Amino acid sequence: MNLLDSGPGTRSLLLGNEAIVRGALEAGVGFISCYPGTPSSEVPDTFFRLSKHGDYHFEYSINEKVAMEVAGGASLGGVPSLVTMKHVGVNVAADPMVTLAHIGTPGGLVILCADDPGCHSSQNEQDSRYYVRLAGLPCFEPSTAQECKDMTREAFELSARWQQPVMLRTTTRVNHMRGPVVFGPLSPARTKGAFAREPQRFVSVPAVGRVRHRALLANLETIREEVNRSAWNKIYGQGKTGVIASGVSRAYLGDVLKLQPELMVKVLELGLCYPFPDDLVYNFLENLDRVLILEELEPIMENEVRRICQQKGLAIQVRGKDKDLPLWDEYSTSMVSTALHRLLNLDAPVETGCSVDQSNLPGRPPNLCAGCPHRSVYVQVRKIFGDNAVYSSDIGCYTLGMLPPLKTADFLLCMGSSVSTGCGMSKAIDDPVVAFIGDSTFFHSGITGLINAVYNKHDLFLIILDNRTTAMTGHQPHPGVDQAVFEGKPGRIEIEPLVRASGVNEVRRIKALNQKALSMAIEELKKISGVRVLIAEDPCPLFARKVLGQKRTKKARVAVSDQAALECVRTLACPAFYLEGEEVHINPVHCAGCMVCVQLCPSLKPETAGS
Amino acid sequence: MKPIRIFFAGVGGQGTLTATRLLAETALDSGIEVTAGEIHGMAQRGGVVHSFVLLGGYLSPKISMGEADILLGFEPVESLRALPYLRPGGRVLASDAPIPTLSVSMGRETYPSMENIKEGIGKCTEKFFFIPCMELAKKTGIVQTANTVLLGAFFAAGYLPLSLEDFLQSIEKRLAPRLVESNLQAARLGAEFMASV
Repeated sequence: MNLLDSGPGTRSLLLGNEAIVRGALEAGVGFISCYPGTPSSEVPDTFFRLSKHGDYHFEYSINEKVAMEVAGGASLGGVPSLVTMKHVGVNVAADPMVTLAHIGTPGGLVILCADDPGCHSSQNEQDSRYYVRLAGLPCFEPSTAQECKDMTREAFELSARWQQPVMLRTTTRVNHMRGPVVFGPLSPARTKGAFAREPQRFVSVPAVGRVRHRALLANLETIREEVNRSAWNKIYGQGKTGVIASGVSRAYLGDVLKLQPELMVKVLELGLCYPFPDDLVYNFLENLDRVLILEELEPIMENEVRRICQQKGLAIQVRGKDKDLPLWDEYSTSMVSTALHRLLNLDAPVETGCSVDQSNLPGRPPNLCAGCPHRSVYVQVRKIFGDNAVYSSDIGCYTLGMLPPLKTADFLLCMGSSVSTGCGMSKAIDDPVVAFIGDSTFFHSGITGLINAVYNKHDLFLIILDNRTTAMTGHQPHPGVDQAVFEGKPGRIEIEPLVRASGVNEVRRIKALNQKALSMAIEELKKISGVRVLIAEDPCPLFARKVLGQKRTKKARVAVSDQAALECVRTLACPAFYLEGEEVHINPVHCAGCMVCVQLCPSLKPETAGS
Repeated sequence: MKPIRIFFAGVGGQGTLTATRLLAETALDSGIEVTAGEIHGMAQRGGVVHSFVLLGGYLSPKISMGEADILLGFEPVESLRALPYLRPGGRVLASDAPIPTLSVSMGRETYPSMENIKEGIGKCTEKFFFIPCMELAKKTGIVQTANTVLLGAFFAAGYLPLSLEDFLQSIEKRLAPRLVESNLQAARLGAEFMASV
């Protein structure tokens, strides 16, 4: 299966995110920007992988705001553009996004926003459909892989025709589902457009903003008429009991109704969900006694339905969020089944899962890999500061340092926050504050916090954990990555000169796996006040192996299993160690050869890998 | 066909998602409607991985508590942990090769005995088999084929309207050429084991 070559009619099992790529290619997308973030990452990663063969322009931007702005610019220049991010990224990109909706996007702009109900890989579970309303963005919500493709393609057509940015709002289950997709014809990528100068529209000074707000509202009313008639919104079933569903809840509802045909309801499925199709919904509600709204997270459609009932004087019972259908986490077929039974005054099926006592099962939380340079830094920092410092953490693999025995994350807000939140904390308390940030996150938005720290004379010890990749989301490149490995982009932006140019005088740069160098640098910087930065460099071992093709040359072995070796196991919590009783072993398959344990403990020795 | 929900439980880095995809593609190639689901992200760092294959016309990409017809366990403790997803009377096929958790490796927690694990599963269903996936995979010379051993056993068990032959064809079609021979052997070893119990 090749998303660029396969002709119309091909039927292939695609990840929801791959289907979005195909949909954009079928629409002739000319410009794609992104900041990677689970669950959206496979969309940009697939474009990146195919970029040698595709005609489009693709970039990993340094953050979501920049991604939104470059895609917005391309769209103003008449090129159909796609920008992708996860839900919290939309917070970062909200400023340009709202104004883009005001001035409009002539080439067409599709914004993929991947929400994460259930917080599978996120710090919160916000509902981005509020942004749809805040900015005024027509919004598609796919529920199958096929719809991921078809809605993306149509979003481009509508966005260009309406000259408004359109949001494709997905959730983790949809991004990461696999389903059969029938391909449509590909369109040639439209990489060149033309800019029609129109300062009274595109230069958003207050006088323009005032006018454009009204233009946006008028445009949304016109679009609402189309949404009322859209084939993406469909009614089926019969009876006086209704259900309105969107997103993945449509899939859960569909399965429940198929498996339990005795549940007789009339259904309105909304695929194109905003502007809310008032007339369609009113016609649906008119002959019902009661209606249930199925939507994960916030009661957004529910409130729209209550408004319509109030405006039209409909006295029907509206049900939505309650104990069966909460404001948090994901829905499921069993939750939908229970809610439908209650709606129809039927006895809900009892939970029938196997119950086993799980209280004694060992936990299996994710942890830092064997050979991870972050572990090396954390061990030395903890050795020197222990519990006498407060640790400001950031978003990346290194957040896993929160777990014992490393315990080097005390608070965390969002991408780039460790620097500035650490500054505020250090004003508030007497203990030293040590902040950690990864290289990609530093470029994303840590650098602004650093300049602020210097300018406002804060007292902060910042450690930049430079593993030369975006490890957490799947080894995407960023400005600090040696681009020679990714064809066509030689060179990289060094972090140290950037830090110095930001006004930081106390900078140390060491190898993250070198315990002695770490110890000396940390002890030195501990004694200094003001903003000081330690750059700890060593590549992510997975990246080194998979992308850079580096081979492991040595590994550690246990020379003597004594108390010191046991202590090393407990300090490092490296997954290559294991105990048999009190006897320490190193699994030679798992050992990545970082040699951190060998530096810490004389009972452990290096040996040549493969020996 | 009667719709079937298959729940995969494994450990990050084990290849559970590749196995999930291979099963889903085998079904699709054989004309069976399929939806599959997986969760990426934190799972890569040695955490628990759950994924799903739903055959026969389901729209949902996930399996909730008590819904799985079949639980494929790629690790013993993770098979036990995933039992609440199995429906009453559901079937379990599981690897008998433990992957210790970090807390077990560090001596902080204890890995339950295989007897305890079998007893726990036995309380939920009588229809369960442990497959010596790692032992059989070693015979192919490539331990990474352990997942294919489990799938081979699964196809041979006759729970699906698909045969071992369908799976073998899928391996030839879907896997990189250098992996085909060892995986074909692994699938056959799993199937032979299943036929012997």
